[in-house]
Amino acid sequence: MSKIDHAIHEFQTIEQMAKRDGRVNRIHPLVKLCLTVLYIAAVVSFPKYNLAGAAVMAVYPIVLFNISGVSFADAVKRLRIVLPLVLIVGILNPFFDRRIVLEIGALKVSGGVLSMLTLMIKAVLTVFSSYLLIATTPIEEICCAMNCIRIPQVFVIEVLLIYRYITVLLSEARRVTDAYLLRAPGQKGIAFRAWGPLAGQMLMRSMDRAEQIYESMRVRGFNGQFRLRRKGRNSPFDIIYFLVWVLVFITLRFLPVLEMVGRAAA
Amino acid sequence: MSHIHIEISDLTFEYEPDTPVLDHISLSAGEHESVGIIGANGAGKSTLLKLLVGLHLNYKGSIRVEEIPLKKETLSRVRERIGYVFQDSESQLFMTTVREDVAFAPENYGLPEEEVDRRVERALEQVHIGHLRDKSIYRLSGGEKKLVSIATILSMTPDIILMDEPTIALDPKNRRNLIRVVNEFGHLKMIASHDLDFILDTCGRTILLDHGRIIKDGPTEELLTDQELLEAHGLELPLSMSR
Repeated sequence: MSKIDHAIHEFQTIEQMAKRDGRVNRIHPLVKLCLTVLYIAAVVSFPKYNLAGAAVMAVYPIVLFNISGVSFADAVKRLRIVLPLVLIVGILNPFFDRRIVLEIGALKVSGGVLSMLTLMIKAVLTVFSSYLLIATTPIEEICCAMNCIRIPQVFVIEVLLIYRYITVLLSEARRVTDAYLLRAPGQKGIAFRAWGPLAGQMLMRSMDRAEQIYESMRVRGFNGQFRLRRKGRNSPFDIIYFLVWVLVFITLRFLPVLEMVGRAAA
Repeated sequence: MSHIHIEISDLTFEYEPDTPVLDHISLSAGEHESVGIIGANGAGKSTLLKLLVGLHLNYKGSIRVEEIPLKKETLSRVRERIGYVFQDSESQLFMTTVREDVAFAPENYGLPEEEVDRRVERALEQVHIGHLRDKSIYRLSGGEKKLVSIATILSMTPDIILMDEPTIALDPKNRRNLIRVVNEFGHLKMIASHDLDFILDTCGRTILLDHGRIIKDGPTEELLTDQELLEAHGLELPLSMSR
């Protein structure tokens, strides 16, 4: 399987995972969307030196990985391209902020290192929470939730179409590279001089296909508005689930939980 | 005479100024007719079908679908009545699974969930692809994609079906299956194709286009046995006729 085929396969696996009939999958998408947004807001709001506070927020993705059946190992594997980029965030902090802010025995930790670690943890947690949202909620349901909270229709449609066009773009990329490699036997990868024309071709063909897909949608009754629906009924459990997590977020955000646990243990 | 479903008068259309792709075309087609549209590449077959479904509205002349004049304001009413099968199935299918794609139109028309399910099942059965229901679109073969794209149209229960090169990528078995499906569809169908044998098997009437003009409009057998006429317009006798 080529890298592009693999990417398409991964993309579809996530979609299939989102459509499973799991416990977390059944929760109303609005609840999951709001919780993810609140969670991200809570995580990013921690001060830059509050490493312990941010780390405690990991409880949400940990619980979700456990109850949703989404594999943590697969998540790490799928996010292997994003995670290094995320980890680069704040990598320069240690060079600018050398003030010692923490001493653990003989180990002196500068403000820069601490803020870098906090930033990294925040970034990883927000990426995982977003991944958990898309791995447990089909894109149509996420859009449905966005509709519920009155996010402008045009924006919701943009999100949905971009999501749909990802596979279009990937399959065009595969065709173009296949066509190139078949006429360049024995060559590893694509020659630098061909990058420009190939990228141009890919863009033109993707636009062409996107246009045709749009036409196909129009002739099947699409008039700019998606009628998004979800199966199943709303359950009171969804509200309880939401309230419990909001309470957890507030507690973890505003109370020094680790400190309290440490004191209680001592 | 059967009720007129499509009426085109003096239709002219051009993508670029002064190069008409369709040039003063007039025709009408009735409720239960099966009309083949043939012609060499660039004759205007696909453009004619695209105009009928309102994909281009900047045409001259008039198009009426079931008495409704085709214009921006009436587009959704017209499209509810017409199912259009694209030449390239790759571009027609965009949802994740077969079921979702077939359900796209009925859901868009706001039908209740039970009715959507019923239509999806019926459309899949009509083209004998019930077993593909939950399959990913990406995993389908070319022939399966073509059949799914036809099912996506049948789920709309249209009064009129327009098909652009429907036999492309079909193996003999699926081609036979398609002939059966098309012949079972009792309403008006207009089929643009280079596959003259398919036209012969499915259409009672055929229109020959060349450079955007109607050259001949008549019974299929009569038209497709006229070797001189076909060759004069870049076509050949159907294989079944040339043996």
